[in-house]
Amino acid sequence: MDTLVHFFQSIPYDQIVIQTMNGIVTGMILALVASGLTLIFGIMDVVNFAHGELFMLGAYVGVIVLVATGSFWMALVLASLVVAILGAALQIVTLRPLIGRDPLNTILATFGISLILQNYALWQFGPVARKINEPITTHFNLFYLEYPWYRLVIAALSAAIIGSFWLFLKYGKFGVWIRATTQDRVMAQAMGIPVPWVHTGVFAIGAGMAAASGVLFGPLVGVNHAMGLDWVLKAFIVVVVGGMGNLGGSIAAAIFISLLESYASIWMNPSQAVIVSFVVLILTLLFRPTGLFVPTPK
Amino acid sequence: MTEKWKDEAWSQDIWYSGKITRRTALGWGGGVLGAAMLVPAPWQAAFGQTAPYKIGSLQPLSGAGAAGGKTALVGVEMAIDRINKAGGINGRPVALVAADDESKPDVGRRKTEKMLLEDKIDVHVGGFLSNICLACMPVFEETKVVNMIGVCLDTTLTTSKCNRYSFRTFDYAPAQAVAIAPYLVNKMGKKWHIAFADYSWGQSTRDAYTAEIKKLGGEVVGTTGIPLGTADMTSFLSKIQGNFDGLFGIFFGKDGVTIGNQAFDLGLTKKYKWAGDGAIAESVNLPALGSKIEGFVGINRYIPVFEGPLNTPSHRKFFDDAKARLLKIDSSGPLPDRYVQSNFEAMNALKIGMEKSKFQGRQDTMKLIEALEGLVMKEGDDFPQGGGLLRKEDHQAFIRQFIFEIKGGKHKIIETVAGDKTIVPPACKFASA
Repeated sequence: MDTLVHFFQSIPYDQIVIQTMNGIVTGMILALVASGLTLIFGIMDVVNFAHGELFMLGAYVGVIVLVATGSFWMALVLASLVVAILGAALQIVTLRPLIGRDPLNTILATFGISLILQNYALWQFGPVARKINEPITTHFNLFYLEYPWYRLVIAALSAAIIGSFWLFLKYGKFGVWIRATTQDRVMAQAMGIPVPWVHTGVFAIGAGMAAASGVLFGPLVGVNHAMGLDWVLKAFIVVVVGGMGNLGGSIAAAIFISLLESYASIWMNPSQAVIVSFVVLILTLLFRPTGLFVPTPK
Repeated sequence: MTEKWKDEAWSQDIWYSGKITRRTALGWGGGVLGAAMLVPAPWQAAFGQTAPYKIGSLQPLSGAGAAGGKTALVGVEMAIDRINKAGGINGRPVALVAADDESKPDVGRRKTEKMLLEDKIDVHVGGFLSNICLACMPVFEETKVVNMIGVCLDTTLTTSKCNRYSFRTFDYAPAQAVAIAPYLVNKMGKKWHIAFADYSWGQSTRDAYTAEIKKLGGEVVGTTGIPLGTADMTSFLSKIQGNFDGLFGIFFGKDGVTIGNQAFDLGLTKKYKWAGDGAIAESVNLPALGSKIEGFVGINRYIPVFEGPLNTPSHRKFFDDAKARLLKIDSSGPLPDRYVQSNFEAMNALKIGMEKSKFQGRQDTMKLIEALEGLVMKEGDDFPQGGGLLRKEDHQAFIRQFIFEIKGGKHKIIETVAGDKTIVPPACKFASA
């Protein structure tokens, strides 16, 4: 009995609350990045290695718009639109000609795009990291910390963007086309759905979502040419753990993994805590290769 | 109206007047390529057919470390251009062979081997990320080629992993710790928490600062190692709490920007005194840190200001040249940083060593090493930072240090520590040649 009491007394409740908030905020950003990635894979069978660079380009476009207009919200909207258009152009020029070829071709193509975009950003913007000023700078007291309201805004906005996208998929005409194409590409084409344009549209939406997350996250880290690298690996883990192509699964996996890492950091050192996501990935691949958040295959 | 000029006689030769055949295109392409090959390298106009010294420079020009690698390369280019303009070394021009390590140790080692075995470089100046320097140092030893480290700060490069062929013409953590620890303990607070980049440089630097703070009667109450490239450090920073006076950060590059922003966002930099390695507040990082880095106290071997001992004509020359070159790679016009400075000065130290030893090629490597050992780097155009001593026992230099504060978004010198006041005993044993 004493051991049990001692155990409950030793739980750092303040840390648990703080890390829950950290995990949810990080998870929502990751979910926004990963949902674009999983959507592109789900409908096109393309593993998009350039997703992190679309995240980074979004942040750079955000910087340019912010300097020109002074409005963070304008930067968020315009960066998403510009990168969505760029994504559509990339899909038409580089991925559409590869449809039906071995998946290795698209992997190499997107990897090549990623290198080009990264080096383009370095050449165009140079080595100096840029700043996006957050629109909300106030804090609230959370135990011993001053917690920024902006982090909660990021979580809320990410949830709103993902929620809107879900409604669009469920009720929008183009959303229905996307779902139909995901289920059966050949049948969708037979029913008159313009599948090549659905592919282009989906790539554009995925790119726009990556750009939005780049702008939202920019104020926390500064904008540089390599900022996408840090997120894309984790987004791939999330997509695999959530079930490749499963939007809901990816969102759940993003929050699940981020919360696990945050809780792990209470008792482990950071280097050990970041391994948690890899452990989850390995266990998923071993015991549930279709993903944690999809029904068990019969 | 606008098309009328095409009808003019003078325009007939340059305006497209028929279809371009593959043969025409190949002919023009071949011609342009041939002409390009005939254009002499910049140094050939001055030196005729004299064979140049080949100076290799491994830098991260792509990948996570590319931002720093680009400015580091500017330092080497500046020094080489200046040397060539002044007549070269021993009457021979200097040619740069730059290689991109892609911020990866395995690639770095492969490219180093290529520079040494295929490009046949005579000497090397460069290396940015410590893990890449550690991976490549044995290759220079095997091929018996002098390696002037450009940026890598890992302590062990000139202590437990030292070798006879590698030199560091700038500071390292034990010397920095000796320089700033009295300020930290006597003027900022006795109890410190250290947050560091959890890799070779961060770990060795943490150990050096911990030892020095303890030696002066202070205490390091906790340390937090954060993996390199962690985008969201909040989970780890949120754990930092307790009764201590100051938070000391050991980060560089984009991780420096991340901790600067996120430690401020969580109120840590208001609750505790905020100090750290100068790489956090390097001039290329300041725009992304904005007002969140105000009040940060750091230590650095170089800061781009004209105060105190840095208010010299030599520094002005270095600063102006570096600024103009940096403007070409970044339109926002960054100021020079320590990466430009240390590569510039490493190349100049090499020049002096090559002249002193009458170095002609790899066969003279041992003579060059002897010339560099114990080199006194005198303040002036070659060493605008202030110069210092390149110690014979471990090939480690001891140079002037600047303790600074960020005020109004700019560096302000608080204290200057002379290089000879930062000397620590050597901890290197060279393998017998």
